[in-house]
Amino acid sequence: MHIVVCIKQVIDPEIPPQVFQIDPVTRKQIRGTQALVISTFDECALEVALRQKEKTGSKVTALMIAGQEGAEALRHAIAMGADEAIQVSDPAFEDSDSFGKAHILAAALRKLGQFDLVLCGRQAGDVEMGLVGPFLAEEMSLPLVALAGNIELAESKLKVKRPIEGGYAILETPMPCLMTITNDESNVPRYASIRGIRQAMKRSVPVWSAADLGLDVSGLGAQAARIQIDELFIPQRQVRCEFICGESGAELGERLALRLRELKLI
Amino acid sequence: MTTILIFCAASAEGPDRSSLELLAGALQLKEELGGTVTAALFGAEVEPHATTLVQHGAEQVVVVSHPRLKTLDAQVILEVLEQIVRQMSPSVILFPSDLLGGEIGPRLAYRLKVGIVTDCTGFEIKTDAGAPTIRWLRPTHGSKAMAYMTAQGALQIATIRSRAFELPPPDPARQGQMRAWTVDLDTVPSPVTLIEKIQQAEEGISLDQAQVVVSGGRGMGGPEGFGVLEKLAKALGAAVAGSRPAADSGWVPHSRLVGQTGKIVAPRVYIAVGISGAPQHMAGAGSSKTIVAINKDEDAPIFKAAHIGVVGEWQQVIGAFTETCQKLMG
Repeated sequence: MHIVVCIKQVIDPEIPPQVFQIDPVTRKQIRGTQALVISTFDECALEVALRQKEKTGSKVTALMIAGQEGAEALRHAIAMGADEAIQVSDPAFEDSDSFGKAHILAAALRKLGQFDLVLCGRQAGDVEMGLVGPFLAEEMSLPLVALAGNIELAESKLKVKRPIEGGYAILETPMPCLMTITNDESNVPRYASIRGIRQAMKRSVPVWSAADLGLDVSGLGAQAARIQIDELFIPQRQVRCEFICGESGAELGERLALRLRELKLI
Repeated sequence: MTTILIFCAASAEGPDRSSLELLAGALQLKEELGGTVTAALFGAEVEPHATTLVQHGAEQVVVVSHPRLKTLDAQVILEVLEQIVRQMSPSVILFPSDLLGGEIGPRLAYRLKVGIVTDCTGFEIKTDAGAPTIRWLRPTHGSKAMAYMTAQGALQIATIRSRAFELPPPDPARQGQMRAWTVDLDTVPSPVTLIEKIQQAEEGISLDQAQVVVSGGRGMGGPEGFGVLEKLAKALGAAVAGSRPAADSGWVPHSRLVGQTGKIVAPRVYIAVGISGAPQHMAGAGSSKTIVAINKDEDAPIFKAAHIGVVGEWQQVIGAFTETCQKLMG
């Protein structure tokens, strides 16, 4: 089985709010000295693919649209265990919206030719729109399984476990198909091994341009975007916290309960 | 006449809360844009539920009731909804930001080649440049930032987060039109099939209904910590929940995850124990009326969101807290 995982490289989403900065003019996050990482759910998607590789000997290709910031995340994907990595890059791709990105990824998938399964994270760790996966499924006319947790090969089909309210659902889909992956207990991303990291350093990552993909760029980039960020800001939420005082933990616990009762909260 | 269309997929029990909240949002839009509020209701034998939608503000309900819609298959619904939308040409379509809305909304937008804004928590209307534009408000970057976003085109599609609009009580005096939409679903393909649903027996009080929620985070250190929280929850008649680190570690089931990628809750009291208060968690807990935080780190961001705080090791505090609660609750 050939699994293609579409990943996005984002500024580490786990950074604390104190160091999180935005540029209100460009309406983008300021990178500063922060690392670029594989977006959280894309990393879960990669984990799903890698577990499948271990079970069934599948081939895993990581595919990413990236600009001048480089392809650090793709190297990390190789270090985690992906067999191949492909960077899709062209100045004309800059600031494409989700329609543009789905179009670019579709062209890259067509160039790859044969694949059985395409995985995308449920949403990117920056703008979090969750559109590229469903758009790509529509563009490629692939069956879509949204918010999958993990997969199991069942003859020529895939059994999919999807976390739902109060439990989970088991779905079945033919291949080729596309899934958006959500996090669950079964796809917590692995750490890259030292050996993996060393190997990834040595690997060259092919870069495909718009010309390589035979793409008409007039429908791509910022000017073609149908979805725009009009304004980006950091919300101020500050509540005055009333701190409970006490000499010991036990006293704090008791006083907390009494205060909550006083306020008729419990 | 403009139509504001809301999407509602209902099980046998009827529309869920988030669909009804969409009607509250649609009524607000109508105040600014005019037009009529129409609901598209999907499901098997859902005709009786049209009344619920009317009582919550729908002036017209297009009812698509078909045995094949029993499993609420996204592919099948999408095909029918596309027909409805092409025929009715609404100016706005609202979806709940849930499993179905999050799949059908984007796919419909792609088919119609119109923009879509997902996971919205509100909107504002800008009228300075002639025709009114809707600026959709939504969190980004793990809820560390907020964005106003716009979608080009005459048709606006948005998915709306639960709790974005307050659910008004039903008004039995409201009148609305019903329109049955007859469909032939025999030829609609559905490549993805539901094999089974496994509902884990949920212990305790449902997270959605709970007035009080006791929630634990990374600071709980392991599943044993959640045993302690269960005891506290029992004393308070509360539901137990957890933050992402706790759910990812399997200390609490993912169905009880509160946060951006889990549940959005709005109980009367939310008691956060060993939770640092990352923005993505507060995206799920921030609407609670009162937030109580117990954390050993006085600089933890949770204290910026909490109304009442205790700085201390939860292991030292929780025993006496639970005992006193037990006494007070009788």
